[in-house]
Amino acid sequence: MTAQANGAASASYYGRPVVKPHVWTPMIPWYFWIGGMAGAASVQCVAARVRGEHDLAVVYKRAALAGAMTAPVLLIADLGVPARFMNMLRVFKPTSPMSVGSWILSAFGAAVTASTLAELLGWERTSRALEVVTASFGPGLTVYTAVLIADTATPVWHEAYDTLPFLFAASGVGGAGAIGSAFAPADQTAFARRLMIAGAFGVPIVGHLMEKRLGRFMAEPYRTGKAGSFRRVAEFLSLAGGAIGLLGGKNRTALRGAAVCVAASGVFERFAVSAAGTQSAKDPKYVVQPQRERVDEREPASVDT
Amino acid sequence: MELFDATGADRETATYDEPQARKGFFTDTTLCIGCKACEVACKEWNQLPSDGMTFTAQSYDNTGELNGTTWRHVAFVEELRNGKGGGDEQVLRAQAGRWLMESDVCKHCTHAACLDVCPTGSLIRTEFGTVVVQEDVCNGCGYCVPACPFGVIDKRQTDGHAGKCTLCYDRLTDGETPACAKACPTESIQFGDLDELRARADARLEKVRANAHFRDASLYLRGDDDGIGGGGAFFLLLDKPEVYGLPPDPVVTTRDLGAMWRVAGKAALALVGVTALAALGARK
Ligand code: SF4
Repeated sequence: MTAQANGAASASYYGRPVVKPHVWTPMIPWYFWIGGMAGAASVQCVAARVRGEHDLAVVYKRAALAGAMTAPVLLIADLGVPARFMNMLRVFKPTSPMSVGSWILSAFGAAVTASTLAELLGWERTSRALEVVTASFGPGLTVYTAVLIADTATPVWHEAYDTLPFLFAASGVGGAGAIGSAFAPADQTAFARRLMIAGAFGVPIVGHLMEKRLGRFMAEPYRTGKAGSFRRVAEFLSLAGGAIGLLGGKNRTALRGAAVCVAASGVFERFAVSAAGTQSAKDPKYVVQPQRERVDEREPASVDT
Repeated sequence: MELFDATGADRETATYDEPQARKGFFTDTTLCIGCKACEVACKEWNQLPSDGMTFTAQSYDNTGELNGTTWRHVAFVEELRNGKGGGDEQVLRAQAGRWLMESDVCKHCTHAACLDVCPTGSLIRTEFGTVVVQEDVCNGCGYCVPACPFGVIDKRQTDGHAGKCTLCYDRLTDGETPACAKACPTESIQFGDLDELRARADARLEKVRANAHFRDASLYLRGDDDGIGGGGAFFLLLDKPEVYGLPPDPVVTTRDLGAMWRVAGKAALALVGVTALAALGARK
């Protein structure tokens, strides 16, 4: 007595979604990119200091500050009740990646702001120490958003939890590298350029790995529709930016062109992931089919004849 | 999992001033006549606005789904001889079709994803073992919406915060029966102590299964060993869960949270490693 509704491979209730797609506005994918970039920039800032490239370090520091200032604005704008944004810090809940992330972002923002103030006051050692503090929250800021979306019932997000953090990390490294490449003084671009190129090639490589691990069926939402289009644009920009960065050498114009490509590719990648999540939640087969297979494997006797 | 314990979000670890027996719903779909009295009673008692007039052309279901302002939803699976409602034509012809009705509701999961991921602590586990949104705390971040494995909870357009069934928390504190169960004319929706409901459901299942037509009948989310640790609201179904729009093997997403953070930790290390490598390697 199995109802194979509408001839689909798995039964459904009039093809209606089983889980709800996320209800976040475009503020959130933008935040994913900006937060990811800022987090990676803070790490690159400290690395630049170690290399003695202080002008480059300042570029990264400004990028981290700009990210930390913009992020809350985007996040608050997305809330249903923006006036209650402070409730985000009402509790610390380890079971909620958004709670953990809110604290990471707050600590990051406080540290980079304090470091900048110390810098303006001329307290160099304090300022540098606070840069290190900022950088200690940076990697967390870059990758927590991947855990945040993976920790949902959205099929292509949850199933990709073992690769999404690497995708976001690669994109963050590329984004920060791009900012560094574009704004550093001409004699301090080598380090940033390397990271920009690493990110530019890293993102499509991790992306393909993710698709492979998801398998043909589960990777579909990443390949089709709006998500597929966004990803193709992201991939093109990534490879173009990487190639220009590689071949252009230290040419400023080439570097800046590459930086624009890599940064834009990161934004498209985040929008692609967001759209893929929506697509996979809207089509019940991505929810039902894997679960049905699990059940049938556990209790083959229940399979109807 | 140790992460669960940290917040007292789970039934087993939460503590209360006046502990109560865990309350729940047993929805016996074999008794549902599709009258939607539960939907109306819920809207009326909880003062929920209408979702507007839409005709879905999906049998008598013009409600469509549970959302922030619709906390009971009666599903209609209408399969007629002509196969209009879909289905295996041969079987349907032999049977002259069938009607399945099911009143859906929040499952008040033992391991509730919505509650786990809520960053403000707005979603709580009550003394009745139910999962409730504190509307004056919720800031409308929307995280619970994609987290629920049943697509129950939703962000409301009207006031921006999340909404879902409270198992009539206000009525429970006065020792009353939730509005939907009270209004149900056939006792398809039964309210009570979960232990008692489970025992009753077991007996009912046996009886239903004795009928050759209903040998596929099953209890959905009854028990403690499924992916959500069992539902405070559970169901007697005559066909597979997905036929009613329910997930066949729901799992609370936070079950894998430890694994997710471990991957994230590796990714964070990779980020630092790549940066360090580039810093060492790149010429000035
Ligand atoms: S069914 Fe969804 S909304 Fe209800 S308790 Fe479970 S996770 Fe939360």
